[in-house]
Amino acid sequence: MAPVPCAICKTSRALIIRPKNHQKLCKACFIAIFEAEIHHTITTTALFSPGDRIAIGASGGKDSTVLASVLKTLNERYNYGLELFLLSIDEGIKGYRDDSLETVKRNAQQYDMPLKIVGYDELYGWTMDQVVETIGKKGNCTYCGVFRRQALDRGAKMLGIKHVVTGHNADDVAETILMNLLRGDLPRLARSTSIVTGDSTSDVRRSKPLKYAYEKEIVLYAHHKKLDYFSTECLYSPEAFRGSARTLIKSLERVRPSTILDVVRSGEDMAKLVPEEVTGLSQCKSQKVSLSSADGEEDGSAGCGSNGRSSGGEMADMERKLQDDEAASGREMEITAVPLTNGQQHARVAGKSRKDVGRKLTRQTLGTCKQCGYMSSQDICKACMLLEGLNKNRPKMEIEIDVEDEESSTLRRKIEGLALAAG
Amino acid sequence: MALPGDDLESGNSATVCKRCNENEATHKIRSESVCAKCFAAYVTTKAVKRMETFKVRASSSKAPRKFLLPLSFGPSSASLLYILDQHLRNQYERMNRAAYELYVVHIDLYLDDADKKESADLLEKYKGLFSRHTYCSHGLDEALSLGNIDWKALGISSLWQVTERTSTERLQQLIGSMPSATSKADIISTLLTRLLVEVAKENGCESILFADSTTRLAEKTLTETAKGRGFSLPWQVSDGASPYGVGFNYPLRDILKKEVVAFTSLTAPSIKDLVKLPQPLSQISASSKTTTIDDLMVQYFESVEENFPSIVANVVRTSSKLKPLINYDVSACSVCGLPVAEGTDGIYGWGGDQNSVSRAATEDTHRDILCYGCSRSING
Ligand SMILES: [Zn+2]
Ligand SMILES: [Zn+2]
Ligand SMILES: [Zn+2]
Ligand SMILES: [Zn+2]
Repeated sequence: MAPVPCAICKTSRALIIRPKNHQKLCKACFIAIFEAEIHHTITTTALFSPGDRIAIGASGGKDSTVLASVLKTLNERYNYGLELFLLSIDEGIKGYRDDSLETVKRNAQQYDMPLKIVGYDELYGWTMDQVVETIGKKGNCTYCGVFRRQALDRGAKMLGIKHVVTGHNADDVAETILMNLLRGDLPRLARSTSIVTGDSTSDVRRSKPLKYAYEKEIVLYAHHKKLDYFSTECLYSPEAFRGSARTLIKSLERVRPSTILDVVRSGEDMAKLVPEEVTGLSQCKSQKVSLSSADGEEDGSAGCGSNGRSSGGEMADMERKLQDDEAASGREMEITAVPLTNGQQHARVAGKSRKDVGRKLTRQTLGTCKQCGYMSSQDICKACMLLEGLNKNRPKMEIEIDVEDEESSTLRRKIEGLALAAG
Repeated sequence: MALPGDDLESGNSATVCKRCNENEATHKIRSESVCAKCFAAYVTTKAVKRMETFKVRASSSKAPRKFLLPLSFGPSSASLLYILDQHLRNQYERMNRAAYELYVVHIDLYLDDADKKESADLLEKYKGLFSRHTYCSHGLDEALSLGNIDWKALGISSLWQVTERTSTERLQQLIGSMPSATSKADIISTLLTRLLVEVAKENGCESILFADSTTRLAEKTLTETAKGRGFSLPWQVSDGASPYGVGFNYPLRDILKKEVVAFTSLTAPSIKDLVKLPQPLSQISASSKTTTIDDLMVQYFESVEENFPSIVANVVRTSSKLKPLINYDVSACSVCGLPVAEGTDGIYGWGGDQNSVSRAATEDTHRDILCYGCSRSING
């Protein structure tokens, strides 16, 4: 079979089928276009300004490693004028972070970037191992998740940095959109679609420059650039809703490769259609800037849920809760029929004729935690509430976490992506 | 054959219906075991409650209102016709008049003569059973003569240069020119909607009563999201005015698909023989070229409905909260006709369109206004 020429340079032999649009490219053109696209995202969204100090949330995994590598390249190529740092979190789980933190340390040397590792003990006074000792294995993922959400921001604050970038990719964003539809969470759906969370008034902004980059292309980029990354990113399998959404996204991508991008676009458009009483934000604001991830589990790659996979417990719990709600309000709800509107008058556009049949929409307002000052929709943020509980009782229970069988699945995903590279 | 709604608990001795405490429980409403009679009453009540406001309005106005009921012969539209026929019959019996009239329309999607004959015969049977209403049928090819679709936008203006083609051939060529199975399904459903709107307007119907079940609306929510049509959800899953100037309503929105299917075997007179059941979804292979996004979602929600019916309902409740944008400049997509924000350029010109190098070259310089979803279907 005759070699296929690259669709861009037309001279070199095509070795890569781009997962995003099935374009056949040579290695050099793939790397160039991957970088050019992220440069496009950064410039069109005016993500950075010269002189910005940026912390890259680094886990040692493929996403954050690629992000660090690309940002370094672009910063030098286009004179962004950024001061880049690597910021890693150590949850304090014996053995778990050893390898990935080693990877991050090597990255710091390879990319010549200062590295800061902040531990849960430093941030919260508790390591995850100590949390598990106190409350047992069950439910510890709640703690880990809540702590993790704030850790990067708190770590950045310690470094005096106001902008953290994370490695969330298009697959993560698409997955989060479908997940929030499945669990009926419009506020989170709206928040998860914007490239930046937080604004100039917040202490730490977060952004995801890889928002439009396909996971498979990130793996390809890492592979062809021979980047040094650690293949186990996540200790735990995703919770049931996220797992379900992830499986669905993978199937959809096989049927129509553009679907990942199409879901992201849908999410961006839908964010504008979420009524103010649901988001607590004015429409114009929610389009551009969104809330911080204070209460949100937007972190696609930062999965934490040690028993999600096997039991599907999270979905079953929600099903039960919804059924209870229905039973409680069932009779009234049946009477509240939605009136048929006359087609001639655009009554619904005026937002009058539709009565919400379901539960009351709760307006979310955003403030800061009275104890730690971290952004929160409650007086006391979740982390501080959990800490208060922890600090009250320190009973001892010896429980071990087993981490073993999780590694294989991440590796499998990685290999799936690489298989496409065979040109 | 065991229908999804039929399963009893662990079938040793007969359970008594939890609602009437008389008959043997043969069906389930969520987790409650009920008899066939109570089950049918539940389904009927859910649908009729959605139509309830009609009675009130009828007393004030003289002429009954007219609604279009699209009948595909599937379990949902057949059940809706049955339920509304009963509803109207009751109104006549009590008040000697009805609040509304139904205009039942069947659209032929498959245009070969054998199919047309079969569906014409079937429509006659429905007419015989529910004779109170007006019936008509149209071929999907009639959508091609709709003036408000910009066929140039579909990039196949050559279709109209060859005059000797029949409209059926043109439709087949149009659909055949779509780049994937998903795109084909997408354009068919767009044409279907636009034709139904036209038929409704021509016949003075103020609203279209779509028979979508809860499960179907949940499928639609995720399917449209996956096709980049998230912007259109307020008109696809909510009751009320559509941008086409005709109301869209979904009276079966509170009933699960499996409940609708179970219901079709409980009606008197029986409609079981008149219902065309959808092809069973034998393990769809996701890699197959013929699999559509729609197929995947049907399969996905079949399993969610089985284990988590309330989550299915919650998806619909959630997407129904989305509100159409107001106060911004809109123009209409030249294919689906839905409003898009000024400056919308199909799949181009947004954050996810990061470079022009990977774009497929377009021949014509003139670009029509297209929404993201239609643009995706055309460009693959
Ligand atoms: Zn090349
Ligand atoms: Zn706090
Ligand atoms: Zn009963
Ligand atoms: Zn369109």
